[in-house]
This record gives sequence, structure tokens and C-alpha cells, in this order.
Amino acid sequence: MTSWLGQSWRRGLLTTAYPAEPASAEEVPESARPPRPGSGMVVPAEAVAGCPVGALGPSSIDDGTCIRCSRCLAHGLRFSGPVEASTSSRPALVRSIPTATTGVEGNAPMSRFGRSLHVFMVDVGSCNACNLEVLSLANPFYDMTRLGIFFTNSPRHADVLLVVGVPTAEMVEPLRRAYEALPAPKAVLAVGVCPTSGGIFVGNSGLPGPLAQIVPVDVFVPGCPPTPLGVLDGLLRLVGRARAPEGG
Amino acid sequence: MSGGPWRLADADPMREPSPPAVAYAAPDGTLTLFNDYSDGVSRLFRGPPSGPARDPVELWNARRERRGPARLGPDEPVEGYGVFTFPYGPISMGVPESGRFDVRTYGERVLALVPVGGFKARGILDSLVGRSVPDAVLRVERLAGHLSAAHTSAFLGACESAAGRSIPETELWVRALAQELQRIYNHVHVIARIAEAASQNVGLAQTHALGEEVLRLTGSLFGHRWAFGALAAGSPLRRLERSDRERAAATLARLLEEFESLWALFLESRTFIDRIQGTGPIDRDAATRWGAVGPALRATGVPWDDRLRQPVAPYTDLYLELPKEVDGDALSRVVVRAEEVRASFLLLEQMLERWPHDPSVEHAPWPAVASGRGLSRVEAPSGDLVYDVTLEEGRVRRAAMRTPSQANWPLFALGLRGGVFTDFHFALESFGLSFAETDG
Repeated sequence: MTSWLGQSWRRGLLTTAYPAEPASAEEVPESARPPRPGSGMVVPAEAVAGCPVGALGPSSIDDGTCIRCSRCLAHGLRFSGPVEASTSSRPALVRSIPTATTGVEGNAPMSRFGRSLHVFMVDVGSCNACNLEVLSLANPFYDMTRLGIFFTNSPRHADVLLVVGVPTAEMVEPLRRAYEALPAPKAVLAVGVCPTSGGIFVGNSGLPGPLAQIVPVDVFVPGCPPTPLGVLDGLLRLVGRARAPEGG
Repeated sequence: MSGGPWRLADADPMREPSPPAVAYAAPDGTLTLFNDYSDGVSRLFRGPPSGPARDPVELWNARRERRGPARLGPDEPVEGYGVFTFPYGPISMGVPESGRFDVRTYGERVLALVPVGGFKARGILDSLVGRSVPDAVLRVERLAGHLSAAHTSAFLGACESAAGRSIPETELWVRALAQELQRIYNHVHVIARIAEAASQNVGLAQTHALGEEVLRLTGSLFGHRWAFGALAAGSPLRRLERSDRERAAATLARLLEEFESLWALFLESRTFIDRIQGTGPIDRDAATRWGAVGPALRATGVPWDDRLRQPVAPYTDLYLELPKEVDGDALSRVVVRAEEVRASFLLLEQMLERWPHDPSVEHAPWPAVASGRGLSRVEAPSGDLVYDVTLEEGRVRRAAMRTPSQANWPLFALGLRGGVFTDFHFALESFGLSFAETDG
């Protein structure tokens, strides 16, 4: 017992200061930020044509589709968007390019949750990277409980249904039933581009479409996968405590 | 825990025609690679009752075309007084993935269990057809994100073999670097999940923190915490200059120390050991008959590891020793994983020290005429991963895979027979199974 205490003592405090302080480079590797053109830059046609998911247009970029594959970096774009990229509406994820660097998303009008949140995660067809990033929020580096956010083991105890993965045909019914099991008021958080738009899997046979066509979504978190801080941003947006976007 | 570690000489298939030689029998004389499943026992791989042309990858593909839930284990009826089927899943917080377990029980004891997959079938392998290799890689990376380095390396290896294309050796080193980092992450994650199930909360927090540091290191070297997009040749995400490598080596040395001190504490923890000792046992005979792979196989005393048996660069030049365990229970599997974490740290140290001088070879784009069929095997964290890719004029014509999870599901089901409900998580996590890489 004493040795475990010694271990914890030796390691000291690991927890991030986010959201009081901005995210550090260690917490957010470059591809965790959405790509943006430099100021005054015209997006080259080759960059638009080379985008494998069609997220990049001549005058807009869809954060909800971008899988951060880095192909557009060869054409001058940079991973320089804000960490705080979650939005409360799907169209708001499509940033128009002249203003992409200045677009500021307010907190979701979700006064029904002002303090703590209980979260139930549902995987509807993910690659597990999102699941693990969400579970990372419980590790000492992020420690979401300090912000009043907790995981629950049952949808009946949850405020928020956190959905990861691209909905598969087999998961539509279980997802609907989990949503119905949540007591009101309830919210749905779509984590990653898969539930938001289908991401790289758009067009695969047998997929029923994005999450918003199955249950109403309150906040969308872009990223493939989002970093733990990206997920945290989405959760904080639900309770009106998200940090204002910085950088990019 | 017995005997010394295995070394390369022990793993000579000529010297020891170990059971994998049977499990990996050549079905048609050309493919000597796939697990051989007994007839009628696993529905997934039920082929012709006899005859030589049984290619489990083909059978798996045939199954994929029939959508719907797939039963992933021996499905024998168990009857008796009060026996009923308890379906666990597909949504539960205990298993953070979508899949179901049909448990036959009368209340406490698990009489039989069938894992049911197919809930996460995204049709990824089908979606590769007709695509160029770089476009296909974007999808393969996202098949099982926590195993992306192994999947991408195996897929690229199969494509390169199909196209008869050699690549700069540095590329193989980059892939191995990402794979070993992910192996550490996955093994540490297994230990964390077991600590969680055993209510070892300090151990869980500390192990979880170690995993996070491995992800951060991966992020700093590959620009992405799961190395998506960084294994394609010429990726702008890589940060592998000399200074980056030196920084990584220093971080790894610190993380290894962390790991050693944590693992020593776990081995002293009666609660932790008690929950996994004797849990979910499989013996050597069952493991080889069912074609187990990876730590599950090595924990029963069978020294099969692709990194030793069929080494490619850089493993041919590096020192690697494998742990030897014979009991086949969850404890043995966890000990094997812990020893492999140590071995991977050692491999990474060697790699970073002896990084090949990069002659900055210009990487040619994929030739448009590349055609052929190629196979590639990679030792993924949970075992032998096989990709079988046919290219036609530079595009994927057919892709198939046999993942460690596909191979090991029946073993998990067999191991839990006769156990109790509370054994479930310990047994499941020790196998390191994933529905994502099973369903595709």
C-alpha cells in the first residue's frame, strides 16, 4: 500500500490546466488542429481535387468531414485551426475560407445543463481510436471529474449520449433504444467525423448515414480522432463552459 | 513462469516443428499461412468437410457478404435445469466497443459463451476495391485505430509484394517504430483495463498515465497520436530528425523506468494476481488446435512470433527475446504482455540508436501497372496479422485479412467455460480482442 502511495507521490501532479489555460503543444499534436489556408491565400485547385473526402472547397472547408490526412499540406495549407472546434450545428462546421481564421463559435444554448454532466458512451461502429481518446479523459492528465464530468454505466443515469463511430445498420436500433433510455433533459454529442458526416466511410455499402439522421445531435466534435481536449471542448460546450478558440 | 526466455535459435521451425506448423498447414500447397480450423466447430470458418482447398481468408470473405451478426465461437448447445441465454451487449459500458456475448448460464457460472460480432461491420475491405493504394491506406488505418500501425504495415507490405516493389529500408524502420510504440500502448492498456476490473485504482491511474505518455510520444514523432497518415512514404507529418530521435530515446528511457516500477508493484499486489491467476485458461493443445495467435499462444508455451520466425528489416538486425510462459491463463497472458513491453522498449532503444542513415531516397509513386497478389504478415500486439491483397494496374482488386482477434475469439470463449461472470473482463482483456478489427 505504502509503495503505491510512494508511486503516486513520486509522479506528482500531472493534470492539465486546460480549460483555464490554453492547450499545450504536447497535448495537441499538429494534426489535432483543422487545416487552414494561410491568410490571403487562394486554395489551389489541386488541393481541392486531392482532398480524399471532399472537405476542401475553393472557398470553404468542412471540419466535420476532414480526416486530417495531411494531403493538402503539400499545397500550402497548415494544421493551424483552433483546438476548440466543436459546434452546436452541423452547418457551422463548414467554415468559409476568408473568415475561417476568425470564426468564433459560442457555447451551445444548453442552459438545461449548467453544472455537472453524466456521460454514457455508445460505439456505433468506430475504429476504437475515438473510444480510447474519450476514455483518456479519465486519466490523470485530463481528469475530467475536476470539471464535474463523469462516465456512467447505464444510459438511464446519463445526461449525455456520447456517440463514436460511423453508424452501421446493425447499431441503428440499439442506438435508438439507448437514446430513449436517457431521462430528459438529454443531449447527444457526436465525437469525431464518423458520426458527424461518415468521414472516410461515406459511400460504403450498407451504412445508413450520419448520426443526425437517426437521433438529434446537440454538439459536433470534429477530428479523426479528436484529442481528449477536443472531446472535452465538446462536453464543456454543452454546459456553456467551453474555452474561446485561440490560434488559427 | 518457468525457464528462460526464447531466443532466435529456439524459434527455428526446422529444429522445433512446433504446433503452429500444424496450425499453419498449407491448405492448397501455396498458402502456408493461415490458421486451420476444425470442421464444423467454428461457424465462421466452416469449409468443405474435407479436402485441401480450404482458405480461411476466402471463407471469411464469403461470410462478410452475408451481412448481420456473426457468431465467433464454438456454438454447441448447453442444456440443463434453469439454463438460459444471457445476452450481454451490444451496448455496455463494461466493454467499450459494440459487440454481444451470448452467455449460457443458470445464474453464476458461465457454461458456454459465444461472442457475436458484426455490429461494427463498416464494409471497409469492400470499400478498398478499385482504389489506389494511398487511398486504400486511409481506410485501412481507420479499420482499428489502436492497431493502425500493424494494419497499415501489413497492408502496405502485401501491396508492395503484389507489385514486386522494393522500398527504402528506412520506410520499414519507420513502420517498425510506430508498431513497437503501439504495441507498448496496447499492452499497457490491457494492464490498465485489468487493474480497473480488479479495482486497483492507483495502479489504473498510473498505468493510464503511462499509456497517455506513449500516445503523446507517438504524436510528437508522427504528428498524430495514432500515427494515421504518417506511415505513407514521404508523409509531411513525420518528425524523425536526429534531434527528435534523441528526445524520443530520452523519453522512452524514463517511461521504461516508470513501467518497471509499476509492474513490480502489480506483481506484489495479491488482489491483482488473484483475479487473473487461473482465469480463462487454455492449454497448449486447444491453442494450437484452434489456431491461437500472439500472447495468447505464447502464454501456452508455443514460441511463435512473426518478428522472430519471419523477420523483416529492421527485426533481422535487432536483438529481441520473447518471454516464456506455459500456464495459458490470464496471468500468463498478462505476464507475456508485460515482458513484451520491456522487449519493445529495448527494440525502440536499439532502433533509435542505429537509425539507418537516410540517403534521402526519392520515393517513386505507385506504378500504375502494378499487378499481382501479395501476402504480408505482421506481429500485431495481439498476434499474427495477415493481409492478402490483389492489385490490378495499381488498384486494389481484392483485399482480405485474417486478424489476431478473428483467430482468438474462439479461444476466449473456450477459456471462459466453467468460469464465473466476474472472470469475464479479466479473460476478455487478457486476450486483447477487438470487434473493430474482427468486423472490418
